[in-house]
Amino acid sequence: MNENIRQIAIYGKGGIGKSTTTQNLTAGLSELGKKIMVVGCDPKADSTRLLLGTLAQKTVLDTLREEGDDIELDSILKTGFNGIRCVESGGPEPGVGCAGRGIITSIGLLEQEGAYTDDLDYVFYDVLGDVVCGGFAMPMREGKAQEIYIVASGEMMALYAANNISKGIAKYAKKSGVRLGGIICNSRNVDREEELLTAFAKELGTQLIYFVPRNNVVQRAEINRKTVIEYDDNSPQADEYRNLAKAIDENTMFTIPTPMTQERLEEILLEYGLMDIKEEAV
Amino acid sequence: MANYDGYLEQQRFTCALGAIQTVVSIPRAVPILHSGPGCGEMISGFFDKSRGYAGGSTSPCTNFNERDVVFGGIDKLRNIIDNTYKVLDTDLQVVVTGCTGGIVGDDIDSLVQEFQDKDKPIVSVDTPGFKSNNYVSHSNVVNAIINQYVSKYEDEIDEYRTDKKLVNLFASIPYQDPFWKGNLREYKRLLEGIGLKVNVFFGSESRGVQELQDIPKANFNILVSPWYGKAIVDNLQRKYGQPYTWFHYVPIGANETERFLKQVFEFANNEGAELSETKAKKFIKHESKAYFEELDNLATFLMEFRFGLPNHVHIVHDAGYVVGMVRFILHEVGLVPKEVFITDNTPDKYKDFILKDIKETSDKKDIPVYFEPNAGHAQDILRGIKHDGEGVILGSGWEQELAREKGYHFVSVALPSTVRMVLTSNYVGFTGGLRLIEDIYNTVLGAF
Repeated sequence: MNENIRQIAIYGKGGIGKSTTTQNLTAGLSELGKKIMVVGCDPKADSTRLLLGTLAQKTVLDTLREEGDDIELDSILKTGFNGIRCVESGGPEPGVGCAGRGIITSIGLLEQEGAYTDDLDYVFYDVLGDVVCGGFAMPMREGKAQEIYIVASGEMMALYAANNISKGIAKYAKKSGVRLGGIICNSRNVDREEELLTAFAKELGTQLIYFVPRNNVVQRAEINRKTVIEYDDNSPQADEYRNLAKAIDENTMFTIPTPMTQERLEEILLEYGLMDIKEEAV
Repeated sequence: MANYDGYLEQQRFTCALGAIQTVVSIPRAVPILHSGPGCGEMISGFFDKSRGYAGGSTSPCTNFNERDVVFGGIDKLRNIIDNTYKVLDTDLQVVVTGCTGGIVGDDIDSLVQEFQDKDKPIVSVDTPGFKSNNYVSHSNVVNAIINQYVSKYEDEIDEYRTDKKLVNLFASIPYQDPFWKGNLREYKRLLEGIGLKVNVFFGSESRGVQELQDIPKANFNILVSPWYGKAIVDNLQRKYGQPYTWFHYVPIGANETERFLKQVFEFANNEGAELSETKAKKFIKHESKAYFEELDNLATFLMEFRFGLPNHVHIVHDAGYVVGMVRFILHEVGLVPKEVFITDNTPDKYKDFILKDIKETSDKKDIPVYFEPNAGHAQDILRGIKHDGEGVILGSGWEQELAREKGYHFVSVALPSTVRMVLTSNYVGFTGGLRLIEDIYNTVLGAF
């Protein structure tokens, strides 16, 4: 595998907008002429919908289940917007089997089948929710993603999850060399959000690499199964994603995170007024 | 949970899945393994002559593979169970899980329920290897059978404990005790000798599922074990109100067998069994007389053959045997037990009374006891111990080499062992004591 491929994993609390951010960001990178592969690591298999304009992609694990592990790459690797290659790991039905092992199996098969071609500049792993078990840490293990970005917002649970994910990164950092590249804020329009995220990132020993403002065009583009750049090329939000892509392309700050205690996390939240309403109520 | 000190060498038991042998030992029962390929083979390989009616390579197995890990293996298991009914004629099916199924969290209980709803005699038990060893999971399997199979017959019984002379015996763990078959036969013979009727459940003396169905009718339970199996009699006490009498170790020789039979006899009559004291005494006296006649012969032999005989013994075995053998060997064989090693990973809460049982063996001899599930470590300790005179090691086949190294006599009495053939021999009871004496002196004499 080409060692110059930048392999990046995107983590963050469920529902925070990881898939949306990843697809819009990769659309931005593709405009810079980068060759990209997006690997969806979520059993729901919805990480590449906007790039492909469809949800009907056959997943790696579907193929494994139906045809065994002699997989034809063409049947699972589809090309979407601007030449971005898309693959979905997939997974078992909710409540059965082991989705974590599914990711391990799936990435192993992609490697085995030669999906990581030398012409790639970027591979993105879009990983579900939290690092709940070893399987979901697969993308940050040795030889996989060297960079992690955490998508968060100014909400307590998003920051709690980000802090938790950082613990996973710190654990793997020494052995695999994985580093945290920064926090991407997918804004929820809460008060003092950017200040809070900046302070939170600083405490984690990283940076707020980009603040993506909230804009309804994202939802409109999503309904139309498109990234914002494809759906409304001239919208200000399309430029925001282009800027995010540029920030990541030019990023040089890679650190081992310094996760904080729950107490310290709550202190920061208090400091930035997130708990004001609760206090007023009291 | 396992309580090992970092590593474990030469373990004398298997993982939890070893309890498939509990199923194998029930006549016409089959274990169905929801485990990886090879688990069953490893288990049956550890034990001796472990195939039984539908064990070893006969036992159906889902051969859990990567696809089953990712997507769950329930459909495959359903298929295997369906097919088991087509090709094997069995009275009881027990589905057990290996590690992979356990970690993935396959819901085997619900699946087995589907078959139970169709009146199939099937039971599910969670036995992933990491959960415990087979000393513990033996009870889990028996309790699952009681809770899911025996309980189906509760409605047919108007009242529990109706047969005052019937008892359920929980003693040897099938296959883990290399003498289990002979021992269970001997327990049964002895207990019948004092007037009881006995469900032994395992081996050729068992009536199979009929005995299981009769469990609630029994007046009380007998537990012969320092700790393993206690969960079974506790369960039965809760479920059917059956009390139990608990003999802590394997009764070997006259003293302990008489003590055992007297304990059971008194308990039985306190529970209304109305056993005849005259008949029981007559039986014990008869057995005892035959035993001491042979001991008399042994004494004559020892007097004539007093040189070059061993004077001390080391034992490497599980707690039930170590205590039983210590008591027997000191008082009835005339050898002195020195350091002994208990290899069954004894739970801490039972250690004190095991130590007490050994200490009470003699007020003159202090017998050092090591609780060592790491039997490799036990061997290291034993290697460094020196006593005057000739010694004997009673242990597993793995002690043979150590005995050679130390210049000791060696008798294979524990698992695993590839150096001894046991078919129906027993170490329990009067006859068991004589058998152990024969084994020790055959080895000693064979060395001349």
